[in-house]
Amino acid sequence: MASTPGQRAGHRSRFDLTGPGLLGLPVAWLVVFFLVPIGIVAAYSIDALSIVPGSPVTLRTWRELFGGDPFLGHVYLSLFWKSVKMSLIVSAIIVALAYPLAYYLALSGTKRKYILLLLLIAPFLTSYLLRVLAWKVLLGDEGPINSALGWFGIGPYTLIYTQFAVLLVLGYVWLPFVALPIFVSLESLDRRLLEAASDLGASRWQAFCRVTLPLSAPGVAAAFLFVFIPTLGEFITPSLVGGTNGYMYGNQIVDLFGTGFPDWRTGSVLALFLLAVVGALTIVFSRLLQPRQVATD
Amino acid sequence: MDVALSRSATWALRAFFGFVIVFLYAPIVMLLIFSFNDSELPTFPLSGFTLHWYHEFLTNPDLQDALLTSAKIAAISSLGAVALGILASIALVRYRFRGSGPVSALLLSPLVIPFVVFGISLLLLFHAIGLGLGVRSVVIGHMVITLPYTMLVLIPRLQQIDASLEEAAYDLGASRLRTFRSITLPLILPAVVCAYLIAFTTSFDEYAVASFVRGSTVTFPVYLYAALRFPSQLPQVIAVAVMVIAVSLIVVVAAEVGRRVAERRLDVS
Repeated sequence: MASTPGQRAGHRSRFDLTGPGLLGLPVAWLVVFFLVPIGIVAAYSIDALSIVPGSPVTLRTWRELFGGDPFLGHVYLSLFWKSVKMSLIVSAIIVALAYPLAYYLALSGTKRKYILLLLLIAPFLTSYLLRVLAWKVLLGDEGPINSALGWFGIGPYTLIYTQFAVLLVLGYVWLPFVALPIFVSLESLDRRLLEAASDLGASRWQAFCRVTLPLSAPGVAAAFLFVFIPTLGEFITPSLVGGTNGYMYGNQIVDLFGTGFPDWRTGSVLALFLLAVVGALTIVFSRLLQPRQVATD
Repeated sequence: MDVALSRSATWALRAFFGFVIVFLYAPIVMLLIFSFNDSELPTFPLSGFTLHWYHEFLTNPDLQDALLTSAKIAAISSLGAVALGILASIALVRYRFRGSGPVSALLLSPLVIPFVVFGISLLLLFHAIGLGLGVRSVVIGHMVITLPYTMLVLIPRLQQIDASLEEAAYDLGASRLRTFRSITLPLILPAVVCAYLIAFTTSFDEYAVASFVRGSTVTFPVYLYAALRFPSQLPQVIAVAVMVIAVSLIVVVAAEVGRRVAERRLDVS
């Protein structure tokens, strides 16, 4: 990391333990209430800890998940791929929608860009559940959309409790947020590069494809990751507007820890698998984003 | 000639932007309209104006308890998160030490963990050590997930402040604590307030983690989630929704605008 104006330079801080000392409390908090709990999940996943005391340690569920058991492995993994597919669709669509929004704010030269940005992002800062509630009302069988369509003699359509409803609501919820990282990367774009491209005879479209788009790629990647990760583990929206068609991997994990037939071992395995996938994605993406940050310093 | 956009493309993008804004706000406006609608069911045509649902929610003790519980949890957990956030941010910005990379990765990692995974992890921890669930466990969970948000607000502000101000205070014989109180804290105060409000609204709205570790405590999102399954409660829930959305919008916008104004003033003087 490059040194910032705020960083204290010089020999005094070299052997100074105040810095690490200040970190003691926050790091301890995260170790005890964040890392240790994940370790406990790992222990439950192999029955080292169990609801049934005295169970022997076993890797059975892990083996079942990865092909040893045609039934369980198949059900859970296909549910996982279904969730991956749904999250990919949502993330790709809203990144594609957010890009022109961010482009407009960053590059059109509008004077009110920060006000417009705030207007765009404000819905994201209001309650998540309440925005889902709004769509639950809107999409209902006798809700505003269907009753309005009924005036014109169309419908009614089954909108709620479908996979479409889950995709729509997730997209609605995350769209404002996605524009932010793309805006930041476009905002830091040096306009002289575009002028140079234009002077050298490139059309606006060529300049966009060969200059703007590649330079904003890290923002796009970050935006994609910021939506993909939370939607992959999502369980609230599917349980409110999804019905059985919209059931996602996250719902399966919740149900395994639910009151009906709790199976903490299987639930722990599924949770850790999700965590591993998300962790790997985060590491890969942050590696991808790093070289460019160095280059701009 | 503008190098980024032709005139017609600007118009097209402006129209698209307007369209998306309408798409984002229409559902919220719809809620507002139905909160005054004199009918059990939210359907068109509207059946007349009423304040009945607002009155009903103001006299619903369960709902008020839930709001109060959430406010309490949010107030305490954001206080904790901001305190931890200040310590961590000062350490990461002002000091160089071995391992600061992994440490900051750890401190920011709650940003990317799926909340369903964190929720069950915390549940299993409390189960394993035999600690009861309730307000306390929700506060602990919310401190973990809001800590990185506070750091994302505090770190940029600390980087802006010239460290030589603090060094001058040391050189004049002030202790570390004294320097923090008289120099650092006043300069970062706008960011501290902003971090607190962001943590507060995040905690107030948090359902996923709370749903696992709440025990029998009913927070506002938990109440909402349950009420969404009973259509008869829908109209008054809509009324509350409108009020909460309005308040959180005002708080967040005021926090951001206030922070900018205050920081500009501090930096000028």
